Amino acid sequence: MSQTEIRQFNFGPITTHAFNKDRTQVAICPNNNEVQIHQRTAGGWSLIHTLVEHDKLVTSIDWAVESNQIVTCSQDRNAYVWNFDQTNGKWKPTLVLLRFNRAATFVRWSPNETKFAVASGARCIAVCYFDEVNDWWNSKHLKKPIRSTVLSLDWHSNNILLAAGCADFKARVFSAYIKGVDQRPAPTPWGDKLPFNTVCGEFSNGGGGWIHSVAFLPSGDALAITGHDSQITIIYPGQESYAIKTNNLPFLSLLWVNENQLIAAGYDCVPILFERQNDQSWEFSKILDASSKKKNINESSTAFNRFRDLDARGISSRSGSDETELKTIHQNTITSLRPYNGTPGDISHFSSSGLDGRLVIWNFQSLESQFKGLKV
Amino acid sequence: MSFRTIDVDALDEEQLAQEELFVYSDGIEIDPQEALNNVQTKSIEVRNLLTKNNPENALITAINDPPYGLNTTAAKELNAKIVMEVLNSIKATDILPLIKKLSIEQQDILMKYIYRGMAFSGKASDKPKTGASPPPPEPFNSAVLLNWHEKLTEIAGVGCIVRVITDRKTV
Repeated sequence: MSQTEIRQFNFGPITTHAFNKDRTQVAICPNNNEVQIHQRTAGGWSLIHTLVEHDKLVTSIDWAVESNQIVTCSQDRNAYVWNFDQTNGKWKPTLVLLRFNRAATFVRWSPNETKFAVASGARCIAVCYFDEVNDWWNSKHLKKPIRSTVLSLDWHSNNILLAAGCADFKARVFSAYIKGVDQRPAPTPWGDKLPFNTVCGEFSNGGGGWIHSVAFLPSGDALAITGHDSQITIIYPGQESYAIKTNNLPFLSLLWVNENQLIAAGYDCVPILFERQNDQSWEFSKILDASSKKKNINESSTAFNRFRDLDARGISSRSGSDETELKTIHQNTITSLRPYNGTPGDISHFSSSGLDGRLVIWNFQSLESQFKGLKV
Repeated sequence: MSFRTIDVDALDEEQLAQEELFVYSDGIEIDPQEALNNVQTKSIEVRNLLTKNNPENALITAINDPPYGLNTTAAKELNAKIVMEVLNSIKATDILPLIKKLSIEQQDILMKYIYRGMAFSGKASDKPKTGASPPPPEPFNSAVLLNWHEKLTEIAGVGCIVRVITDRKTV
């Protein structure tokens, strides 16, 4: 696959998405209480399972690729771990005891898939682990010093440290060490003694704005945070941090390609690449959406577009669809970026989904070479 | 439906107060009187620069180190007035080259003052009367502010506006 692959899964937003290990199946939430699993077929994608157990909007999905388990969380304050039952070919849910009194907002498996963390509006994060004795998923709460809704999470590669982006304008790094589940971790720049709920760092972006996304550098030695102030801050613990104040609208999701390249996407509907210059400062590099630079391509075929819209969507655009269509691939805010192909620290493809109901798989390597000559 | 007007959060012991969200640059709140004194010294400096016909440095001095804080209303008012004076005294053709010389941080602060100016302008009594002689320059002139806003957005982008809206360090 060399080109950007675009798939319209839903005419409303896609709340979140997650792929399985060999990327033949994708779990998406079509902005309601269901989780749909689509299977890649010769002609595209076909819906094979619908997971219905939540009774409010599903806010986040994560697929543990090695152990083939899906975790979903929802505004109904619950999370379920889904296991595939080979005998009847169905996904079986197991309720997780979260003990939240507000909506769950975000969920992520830890790198070795023994734990997962669920963020919530209840000013806490539940770190969940499997309790063999009682045969259920139990949780421990990270509470202090969170003052508001937790909006995003990211695990450090050592399976212990957890970063959280919060609506109280702060990002924090916690220890989510669970006795009996985890091995004693090796020292990191974030600290060496790490009992549960150690706060290894608390970071602000300087002014204000919800922290929408946090992402550890693949090596784990730095943390990138972005908030509603259109700024990306890259924090090296105990050292200087770098703030990139951008000209763009705010970003909602961050993804590290490698140690020196970071992709951000959000309200501008395009993924944007940031790069480290000569091991020093971080700077804007380029917009990774070639079509955003093109002019109207189909100006002559507006009549065609009008009839196509009438046929496909049952609506007639008044003066051709070009007027209401953005020139970017995503037609609305991008809410989620995920790695698609490659290893952490060397990503070759990534996927994005957003409010336009599209799932896009981007070939980062070919985009890079395509833009090489254009670099300013 | 009256239950909808009850502030349920008030009963919450762990309620998040506005003060807790404010980010102090060095962790301490500045004394309001000290802030006002600082701005007064600054205003003299700015006036001197303006009379020496050095609008560039006047602007930089005026927007430098704004009196952030939750209780510095008087200092903020005076500082805003100084900035407006400077903005009014700069010719429209000089705006763009001047903005290009500012750092991103300075552009953000300037945008804060433009928004503050627009929030406090537009009172009917403030409007200049149209007559034969040109109206005297007055602070909080929306036409001037809009002109600055347009030029500044051209250079600093929408990111600058978003930062001004989200920032708790108001001017």
